[in-house]
Amino acid sequence: MQLTRRFSLFYLMFLAACPAWASDLTVQAQLVWGANDSQNASYAPVDSGLSAKLHRIYKWNNYFEITNEVRSIPVNESRDFKMSDRCVLKVKNLGDSRIEVSCIGQGKEVSKGSHTLAPAKWLVLGGNAKNDTAWFVGLKAVDPSLAKRQ
Amino acid sequence: MNEELELKLQAWVDGELSSAEAERMAALASEQLEAGQLTAELREAKMAMIGADIPRSVPESREFYWSKIERQIQLETRPAPVSKPGLMTRWRRFLMPLAGLAAASCVAVFTLTQSKPVTNDEFTSTDEAMDTTTFHDQSSGLTVVWLQDNDTARPSSVSLEQSDDAIVTD
Repeated sequence: MQLTRRFSLFYLMFLAACPAWASDLTVQAQLVWGANDSQNASYAPVDSGLSAKLHRIYKWNNYFEITNEVRSIPVNESRDFKMSDRCVLKVKNLGDSRIEVSCIGQGKEVSKGSHTLAPAKWLVLGGNAKNDTAWFVGLKAVDPSLAKRQ
Repeated sequence: MNEELELKLQAWVDGELSSAEAERMAALASEQLEAGQLTAELREAKMAMIGADIPRSVPESREFYWSKIERQIQLETRPAPVSKPGLMTRWRRFLMPLAGLAAASCVAVFTLTQSKPVTNDEFTSTDEAMDTTTFHDQSSGLTVVWLQDNDTARPSSVSLEQSDDAIVTD
């Protein structure tokens, strides 16, 4: 009887906590530079997961990680991810794994769009860069514990 | 003398026979020696037993004794009283179905969320000089939004420029 009562209370607490877990979205944003030149020792190669996916689609031989930020975004709130001195991503959590991404270059909004950030899926924004290179910003929903580590 | 006759003689001595039977037994006892002796023994035994019984009395009065039995009968035949449920029991009766409903709702929501098709990407605004191309690579789980700067003469809107000169666009 006592055990049933405790279990019921625990279960109700669990149900009450469920929506709180569901609302926050932890997003990892990586700025990646795609180049054929492999002599850039100042940057580390991007992790193999994203690198393999980019290799399937794009021609560049090397993908270097320039910045890597992880932030937790409460629902209906937005967070700025500073990718470089001139590029900031404003990511808003629309709830239900939907995000609104504003790409701001040199203080000006270049694009704004809504996307679904499904678990284990990557959303990549990219474009051409100087000397036959390219920039990429990879966005992924990650475990909330990663945000605390940073 | 058989056993049946012996029992009849005992019944006669105890006064339990009809008058016709009693007469027949009296005749038998006077005619047969063995029957007469047995009758005499039985009468002696009966005389010896008179006054030998110890009087036994119930410590309670007759009315009180039977009222106790009556109360016990009423107690056993009366239906068991239904106890009023406590506050926790009433709450549990209310909460248990509610908890089941909540669990079913959670499962339903989780299932619907998991089976929900990926909604399309929508662009609400894009720079005039910028073209966007979106494509999905389902096999690798990658969605790419490619931003193409149409105005090649102007500096790129999105720059990778860091302190390091190696990564500068246009």
